[in-house]
Parts: sequence; structure tokens; C-alpha cells
Amino acid sequence: MERFAIVGRFARNRGALVGALLILVVALAALLAPLFFPIDPLRIVGAPELWPGEDPAFPLGTDSLGRDMLAMIVHGARATLLIGLFASAVATVIGVSVGATAGYFGGWIDEGLMRAAELFQTIPNLIFVLTIVVILGSTLSNIVIAIGIVSWTSIARMTRAEFLALRDREFVQACRSMGMGDLKIIVAEILPNALPPVIVLSSLVVAGAILFESAVSFLGLGDPNVASWGRLVGDGRQLIRSSWYISAIPGVAIMITVLCLNLIGDGLNDALNPKLRDR
Amino acid sequence: MAGVIASSSRRVAALRLLRRRLFQAVPLMLGVVVINFILIHLAPGSFLELMTAENQVSDPATVELLRKAYGLADPIWLQLLKYIWALLHFDFGFSYRQNMPVIEAITINLPATLLLMISSIALALAVGVAAGVVASVKVRTFWDTLVSVAAMFFFAAPSFWLGIMMIVLFAVKLGWLPVGGMMTIGGAGGGVASVLDILAHLLLPTLALGLFYAAIYARVLRSSMLEVSQLDFVRTARAKGLSRNKVTLSHVLRNALLPVVTILGVQMGTVLAGSVVIESVFSWPGVGSLLFDSVSSRNYPVVLGIMVLGTLVVICANIAVDLVYMWLDPRIEIR
Amino acid sequence: MALPLEVRGLSTTLFTRRGEMKAVDGLSLSVGAGETVALVGESGCGKSLSALSIMRLLPDPPARLVGGEVKLNGRDIVTLTEEAMLDIRGQEIGMIFQDPMSSLNPVATVEKQIVEVLRTHTDLGRAAARERARELLELVGMPDAGRRLDAYPHQLSGGMCQRVMIAMAIACSPSVLIADEPTTALDVTVQAQVLALLKKLQTDAGMAMIFITHDLGVVAETADRVVVMYAGRKVEEASVDDLFDAPLHPYTAGLIGATPTPGAARAARLADIPGMVPPLNALPAGCAFAPRCPRVMERCRRERPELSRPTPGRLVACFAAEKDFAPKDGA
Repeated sequence: MERFAIVGRFARNRGALVGALLILVVALAALLAPLFFPIDPLRIVGAPELWPGEDPAFPLGTDSLGRDMLAMIVHGARATLLIGLFASAVATVIGVSVGATAGYFGGWIDEGLMRAAELFQTIPNLIFVLTIVVILGSTLSNIVIAIGIVSWTSIARMTRAEFLALRDREFVQACRSMGMGDLKIIVAEILPNALPPVIVLSSLVVAGAILFESAVSFLGLGDPNVASWGRLVGDGRQLIRSSWYISAIPGVAIMITVLCLNLIGDGLNDALNPKLRDR
Repeated sequence: MAGVIASSSRRVAALRLLRRRLFQAVPLMLGVVVINFILIHLAPGSFLELMTAENQVSDPATVELLRKAYGLADPIWLQLLKYIWALLHFDFGFSYRQNMPVIEAITINLPATLLLMISSIALALAVGVAAGVVASVKVRTFWDTLVSVAAMFFFAAPSFWLGIMMIVLFAVKLGWLPVGGMMTIGGAGGGVASVLDILAHLLLPTLALGLFYAAIYARVLRSSMLEVSQLDFVRTARAKGLSRNKVTLSHVLRNALLPVVTILGVQMGTVLAGSVVIESVFSWPGVGSLLFDSVSSRNYPVVLGIMVLGTLVVICANIAVDLVYMWLDPRIEIR
Repeated sequence: MALPLEVRGLSTTLFTRRGEMKAVDGLSLSVGAGETVALVGESGCGKSLSALSIMRLLPDPPARLVGGEVKLNGRDIVTLTEEAMLDIRGQEIGMIFQDPMSSLNPVATVEKQIVEVLRTHTDLGRAAARERARELLELVGMPDAGRRLDAYPHQLSGGMCQRVMIAMAIACSPSVLIADEPTTALDVTVQAQVLALLKKLQTDAGMAMIFITHDLGVVAETADRVVVMYAGRKVEEASVDDLFDAPLHPYTAGLIGATPTPGAARAARLADIPGMVPPLNALPAGCAFAPRCPRVMERCRRERPELSRPTPGRLVACFAAEKDFAPKDGA
């Protein structure tokens, strides 16, 4: 029943619903990209710098080399969404582990872990990401891990707060008195109850991760084999005097995706905390 | 009851806060240094290759000299201690590319970055607070919606993209503002003219970096204004015969600003990091441009130096924000 | 001469998603100079909303003043513009609220909060206003007044905060003072001090005071006249002596029974009123008190009793009470 109520509240939030639908479209485009645009999007297919609408074959025009913008955007959705999702997953795994350990055990463990979180919050995040990427190499996995490493602190704080609130509740004490181990209590008993607000935060971290990745790629430090949206913006940068649309279009794609993820996050937040809604 | 705390004892409390924050900064800085050290040792290839990759030192004598200088024959813990010792003396190594010590290369670029950071934060606060106040006063009207929609867009737009689009519009198409850089080369000669020249160059990067934060502050301030305006003391202020505007500005806003200041402190690192990208878009001659250049040329000593000094800047900025918070909220007592 | 405060037919409605609710329904009362009228009833009966209606400080939405007049020294202030009301609030009507700790701005000094009233309504300069603020703090019995000016509310006790609130309310010598449960949030010993202070200030300045409370023990000490409210309506009005000697409305009787008389043995069982105040959107058709009333009659459930004047100087809205005073026909 409660679950249906949450879905209902989410669906009633128009912004969240529009966001969810649009993300679905983007995700479908990413999934079906090879179907619609079977040839390599980075292949030159037409005249360079065709403006959107100039040639019906290329609805979004072509770039400086004559590559199909639409094909690149659709294929780029794949890279962008996957990097965002995986980076958020890395951040969630680190954040939940750290937060759960800190909140459950408390004491000096808590103190130490929270100091570490403070450290990662203090280091200028993008500088850290760039440093990791440049030293360890611009591979997809390094970028994902680097973004995850700078994005986990908010999730850790949230998880810790939930664990602090839950660890002394009756059902946990009951488990303890039955002799259940700490790890089992954390994973099987407390975590499921602590998860809802963490999920909201994770969805927002996806949006942040996409912005991070786009900045890294824009600076030309992304994986050279991946044409993410950020890189497309960077590629178009040299031509802003003649063909600014080359930079504009992928940027709009990033903005819409991030906007939708934020709307979904807000919607989930409202749905899970109905008390806050009437403000 | 503690009794009356006069302004002099608040100064004492501020000093106590300062001392505690500086004390807490030590482990943070140590942490950054250790992370740096780990990164260096995780890197593929030897430390020496890393440190010299940029200028391709091949002369065996020089390599040997460097090996000694970096103490690579020592056990790893001694290497770490030596590294920390060197950084304590602000010895970040030598940058052959700039032909000067790393610390110097960074510090000559720092003022431009600080200027961009400060102006962006100032803009974000001014725009964000104004928008947040309007949205909360005109709640559920056209103005509120307008602020919400604008905030949503600026919160989602990548700053570098926003910067490029503004260059296209204001510099390329309209020709109102310069495309990039910090000063017109060989232009405006001294005095007020050069200040205006720098301001003209500063405007677009400030907007590109600041509007994202303005969006955040507007959202946070709107909800905190609405929350505070429900509190009892607001009704007291109205019962005193103060006008709605006076109540909003001198009672509600003052209290509602507190969460904004908290967020401002938390995001200092992000602002500095964001300026890296913006500097690259606008060829702003700051630490960000230096970092971009060093990253592209694999000039590791500079990259690592920027990370350490960047953290230091953030820590200082955080302390400043804490002091501002304390000044705004007299309830903060330092243990 | 016109009375300081005359309220006639004051009606305030809550406009909510679940419909309209009459929170204050045709309330009339008048307060003379130097007189204290207590407004009494359980929580949720419309006392505080009546006070906020007089001040025109209703939380809108949902509450809105829908009718009646409020004459302040003979002038109706219901029709005044918001701008004109600014000169009334704080200057001609002072108000004190229930929770002194939360009613003061936590980030402003005591001085700033008192000086603000003075500078809004008088021509005092900065230094003169500060001096006047110090005098006011002394007047309300604040120990070490000069140094308390620089204190923040969290550095003061609840009683001291309420003294600051009182100082602000009387700063411009208003002709009417509204005190909304001014002692409820305070310790018992402090309650007595604050009550004595209010009484003294009022007598000295000849202010008209509306004293809102649910505590009839306090009423006995402070009030001259009592207005009892139930579900947004006045159900009884009498002088404080008459009311305590012989309450006419069963609700008043219940309230008095529910108040431990000073000196009475603690063990004595309180004569509780059974049931709860009905929600405003589900008021019964007849008398709102009928479901809880020990003297309920068939008529009470159908018809709503209007206020009647059984003896001079008393008002009551109750069929049972009317019957008690009805002239006995010769049987």
C-alpha cells in the first residue's frame, strides 16, 4: 500500500513525470542507437558545417568534418548516461559503506571516517578528478572511478545519519540479542530501512556525475575512444564564429538530461517525504 | 545562565573558532599530501619518469641527480616524510616549462583565479539572494515560477557550455564584450581605464561560473525564507508595526541567510574547481589555465602542487565563511 | 468618551481545502481604560485568532476577517488600509505572545528589538532610543538592565525574554494591550512575577487589557471581567466575581470545576469536561457544546442558543440557563 502511495505522489508531480518520460526517451535513444544509426557516428558522411535543417538527411546538421550531429548525439547519450550511472554507483557503494560503518559503530571509527569525508569535500573536486585522470590515464574506468571518488561524501553523510537514527531501534536490538553478527545486521536489517533517502541522493549524484564527465571531456581529457556530449561541445569550440550550433546542440542535450534527473530527484524526494511538500 | 556576552567576548569566541579550525586544517592538509603521494606511486611508470616526463630529461647525470634529490633509494615511509618536509617548506619542485619553481608558477597565477572566484561568489550571492527573496515574497505567483524555472535551467546547464554560448552572443554576435583574456593587449593605458578593461573581461566568466551557484542560493533561500516567515518572532515584528518589507528584510532574511552561508562554505572547493573549466573557456590567466596547460603537457609537479595549494585555499575560504556564519548567528558557541 | 476598545460582531473564517470554518463567529466585547477582560476557553476555541483579528495580523491564507468592527478609541480600524494599520500596531495596541523564547528574533540584540519599536513610532534619535530602551527594561524589572541591552535572546531566561516582550509592547504607551497566554510557557514562580508586573504596568498607565488564557486560576487574579468562548463564539460574559460565584453556562461550570482552586487538596478529583472541542468543520447543528453538556436538552441539539441577559451585567448563551431564570408561571 505504502509503495503505491509513493508511486502515486510521484506521478502527481508534473515536473518529475515529465523528467522521467524524457529520461526514458534519452535512455531508449542510447539503447537503440546502433539500430537507428548503424554506421560509426564518427565517420564522415556529408559536407562539413551543414547547419541544422539545411540538409534533410542531417536534421541537426554536420560538424566541422562532415559527421552527422544527430548520430553523434544519439551515440553520445550512451556514453554520457553510462558514465553517469556507473560513477553514481561507485559513489553510492563508497558512500553507503563509509556512512553505514561510521553510523553503526560510532566512536573513533565514526570520527575518522567523517574526517576523511571532510577531506574529500575540501579538495577541489574537479582538480582532483583531473589529477587522477592525468596521472592514471584517461581511460573510461579511471574517469568513472575518479568521479565516484569525489562524489560520495553527501551519500556517506546521509547514510550515517539514517544509521544513527536506526541503530538503537527495537528491531535492531532484537537482532543483536539473538546473536546476529554486525555485518548481517547492517546489510540485512538497517540498510533496507535507510535506503530510500539514499536513493534520492544517488539520482542527484548521477546528474552531478554527468556534469563532471562533460567538463572532463570538454577539456579534452576524456577517453579518446568515447564521443560523449562534453567532448562534442569541446570539439565545436574552435568554430563558434562560423558554426556555433556544433557546440550548442550537445550542450542542450546535457542540460536537458541533467534537468530531468534533477526533476526526478526532486519528485522522489517529495514522494518519500510528503511532510515537506506543503511548504 | 551564562549572563551577558558583550562584543569583546564574541571576539574571543571568534579567535577560539579560528584556532580550532586551524588545528583541524592540519590533518586535512596531511591527508591531501598523502593522497598525492599515493597517486604518484600508483602511476604507471616510475616516479622519476613522471617528474621528468614533461621535459624529457635523458642525460644520465641529471637523472641520477634527480634520483638523489627525490630520495628514491629510500624506504617508502622515509620518502613520504621527506615529501611532507619539502611541502612544509613550500617546495613543490621545479617546473621546467615555466622555468621557475612550481610554487612561484602557481602563486603568480593565483590572484587572477581569486579575483574570478570572489567576483563569481559575489554575483551568485547578489543574484541568488535577490531572486530568492522575490520568489518567497511573491510565492506562488508568476515571479516565483520565473525564478524556479530560471534556477532549474542554470542549475542544469554546464558552466563551460553557458560560457561558450555567452561568448557567441555577447562577444561574437553583439560585440559588446571581449571574447577572452584578462586585459586588452596593448590596450587601455593604466588607471581607471585598465580597471574598466579588466571588469569588461571579467563579466562573462563571472556570469558563467556564478549563475550556477546563484540558482542554488535562490532555491535554498526561497525555502528557508518561507520557513522562517512562519516563525513566531516574525509575527512579533509585525505586531510592532513594522511594514511587510521591513520585516522581510531585517528579520526574515537575516535568519534565512544562515543555510545559504552554510552551503557557500561547503561549496568553496567546487567553486575553485569550476573556475578551472571557466578559465580554459575564457583564456583567463589563472591557476585553472595553468592546470589545464600542465595537465595537457603532463607537468606533474605543477598538477600536484595545484591540488595541495587549491585545498589550502579552500580551507582558508572555509574558515572565512565560518567566521561570517558566526557573525551572523550569535547562538554559535565554541566549545 | 469612547471606550479604548469596542469589538462588535467580529467574524474570522478559515478558508481551507476542506472547506470554510468559522473560527471566530460574531464576537463582541468591550474593554474600558484600566480594565482587564479575560478571554477564556480551551485551546482551539478562537481566542488567539480573535486577538490576531483585532491586530489584523491573521495568517492569510487561510484565515480572513469576514465581518464586524473593531473600534479603537471610537475609530473603526477594520476598514483601515494596511499602511494605516502600521501606525496602530505597536503604538496604539501592544501585543505579548505566548512563547517568549521563540517570539524574539534570535539573531538580534535586545536593544535592537526594543529600539526598533521606538524608532518606528517616535522621533527619538539613536542614542535617545537606546536610553529609553534601558529605562523600559528597568521598568519591566529586568535585573542589570544596562548590560542586558547587548544580550541576545538565547542568553536570557524565559522570564527575562517575556519581560523584553512586555517592554516592547508598552514602549509607545499603547492604550490597549493584548496579552495572549503570556505566562503559559513560564515556570510557576516566574508566572506570578510576570502577572504582577503586567497588572502593575496596566494600573499605572491605565491601559485597557485583553488577557487571553485557558487557566482560570490566572483569571481570578488578573481580570475584572471574563468572556468565555467556545467553538468561536462567546458563550458567557460576567464580572470575575459573578462568574466564579455562580457560573451560568455548563461549559464555564466545567472549566471552573476543572481548575484546582488555590489551597484545595491536590488529591481532589478534577471535574473534567468529558469529550473534546469539536473540529470547526464538524460543528453540531444546535449548540456546539451540546455533545459534551451534562444539562443537554432536546432543544439544544436542534437550535443554537443566542446570548441572553438573565441578570444585569451578565450574558449567557444557553437554554438550560435561560430556563433557570425564566419567570415561573403560576402552576
